[in-house]
Amino acid sequence: MAQNSRPTSLLDSLGEEIIRIVTPVSICMFLVVVLVSVLNEDSSNSASVSSIATIAYNESSSDSDWDKFIGALWNSLAFVGIVIVATFILVLLFYFRCTKLLKIYLGFSAFVVLGFLGGEVALFLITDYSFPIDCITFVVILLNFSVVGVIAVFMSKMAIFVTQGYLVVIGMLVAYWFTLLPEWTTWVLLVAMALYDLAAVLLPIGPLRILVELAISRDEEIPALVYEARPVTQNNSSNATGVARRRVWRETSAVNSDSIEDQNSGALDSDSVGNNQNGENLVSAEEGRHQERISELTAPLIEQRLNYHRQMQEEDSSGGGFPIERIGLGSSGAIKLGLGDFIFYSVLVGRAAMYDFMAVYACYLAIVAGLGVTLILLVLYQKALPALPVSIFLENAFYVLGRKFRSNLDFGIKTPNRKLLQEVEFFKPDMDGGIP
Amino acid sequence: MTVAAGIGYALIALGPSLAVFVAVISKKPFLILVLLSSTLVWLISLIILSGFWRAFLPLETTQWWPFMILIVTSVAFQEGVRILSWKLYKRLEEILDAFADRIAKPRLYLTDKMQIALAGGMGHGVAHAVFFCLSLLTPAFGQATFYVEKCSYMPFFLVSSLIALAFVTIHSFSMVIAFNGYAEGKKVDQLFVPIVHMAAGLLTLVNLVSGGCVIGVPLLFILATWTLMHCGRMVWRRLTENRNRPGSS
Repeated sequence: MAQNSRPTSLLDSLGEEIIRIVTPVSICMFLVVVLVSVLNEDSSNSASVSSIATIAYNESSSDSDWDKFIGALWNSLAFVGIVIVATFILVLLFYFRCTKLLKIYLGFSAFVVLGFLGGEVALFLITDYSFPIDCITFVVILLNFSVVGVIAVFMSKMAIFVTQGYLVVIGMLVAYWFTLLPEWTTWVLLVAMALYDLAAVLLPIGPLRILVELAISRDEEIPALVYEARPVTQNNSSNATGVARRRVWRETSAVNSDSIEDQNSGALDSDSVGNNQNGENLVSAEEGRHQERISELTAPLIEQRLNYHRQMQEEDSSGGGFPIERIGLGSSGAIKLGLGDFIFYSVLVGRAAMYDFMAVYACYLAIVAGLGVTLILLVLYQKALPALPVSIFLENAFYVLGRKFRSNLDFGIKTPNRKLLQEVEFFKPDMDGGIP
Repeated sequence: MTVAAGIGYALIALGPSLAVFVAVISKKPFLILVLLSSTLVWLISLIILSGFWRAFLPLETTQWWPFMILIVTSVAFQEGVRILSWKLYKRLEEILDAFADRIAKPRLYLTDKMQIALAGGMGHGVAHAVFFCLSLLTPAFGQATFYVEKCSYMPFFLVSSLIALAFVTIHSFSMVIAFNGYAEGKKVDQLFVPIVHMAAGLLTLVNLVSGGCVIGVPLLFILATWTLMHCGRMVWRRLTENRNRPGSS
């Protein structure tokens, strides 16, 4: 049959890089939704986590809407303020070439997130499902899990699948903790972070911009937690091995030929010390933790800058305008996304999961659309771009629309009996008791 | 009725689409993107519709004709959106062909075009299933089930899953038929899709009558099967024509 011998179609490889980023983001969101729905079944959310994000105001359900909003605003301002301070400290450290310190801090943060946050989530699950396990086994397993995680994200010589998996788990854990914040605080915080992201990356005095420019001028890498999609090779996506990518800045002239050869040879580069898998880290919303942990927050934002900047570098070197050309030519480019983006996207979806499955679906679509738009803008502007704003704003819009507008319509169109469905809604809380 | 039942109902509605997704769509990343965008477009169209109808809902009447108006307007709107999607698709095809020329790859094959149409249709279908079936399934994960008086033969969740399954099939394949109809200029195909969609929508009104779902649901499935067969015949015809002609269409 003629079809066996015809060359592979355009459609086989188009859009592959985007899917490689959308898939882990989707998995992370899905896991957060599952965690939220499984663990919060009796949620009245009264026992909200007191954390740094709520130092200014602790919301209680008896306050009026306006009070909640003002309180949330104060919380967010405090939070963003701390993030700004932490980012500047980071920039300072980087300026004074304390990279060792940064890397150690990174590993430490990853350990804390996996060990403590992961441990607490595991404890919730164990208590909810009465899973029989003793303390010592639990501690041993947890310790091993965390240490492997730290090695996976901090040092690079591990199968890329393991690294990616651990990054997604870290993102999921932190996002889950964020969903425990009071409602209004979460919304306003997300918007505030999106605005901050916009400012920090695009304004000339933004700390992230300074950081990336420093990194470029010194031709070093910023240690940070970055999710890297597998590089796309020429032959077939399934052949892509987890080859460590070299530092992009050095290779501006040689990326095309060299990195492709490197990939095909599959050998790890000796440069891998400066490799991307280093991570800096993320948030911790724990109560009573140290201030420094907040600087972890800055990492996600750095990542975004970093990623897109690298993306840009790769494109420049491959002569590129349109990134799709690189896909076709099997270049070594791989899209990277900061872990902070994973977290903030998942937080909103997790929040939506507390109300209604529809809102989750609408928000998920909005995020993916926002991500797509950001990638397109990246191509158009050839600059480092913040990943948060478009998605967060779209997501908020869809969430509001989803809740306000659609609840009436759903039950009007194409359903057998509308009155029935009103009854279903009414009976929902009683459903578990059994209905004749 | 326990988690198993809940998952069961979800799979009744979405199982075949999951199979098609894994077998066909997940192999080509572009198709996944098409699926996601068409789901988004469907969602947006639904939001617009609900914005428009918000003034009139909730319909407190037990008569059937307000629902009919609701269904007719919604179906008409969505068919309009389908025509818009066709126009967008033509532009996309041009862009992709130009790009293919630029990187010296072959232009879009006929099967590629049909796969894009299938992905688009499935996006609509999956969105329909999620919004009209999965959203109602949350109580099904609990310990009881729910029956409706007017259709006391099956649990309510089962009925809605079956209806969703029929609609998913109709949506997925009518997009292929519609795009092909527009491409070839065949009136039969072009009119087939809106008529089937409208008929399917109106058939669900039969469920308002007591015991109506015994008639309504099988008829809906007959419509879905008819769509499937028509699409199969059309695809077969085009592929054989194409093979007999040298070069791709």
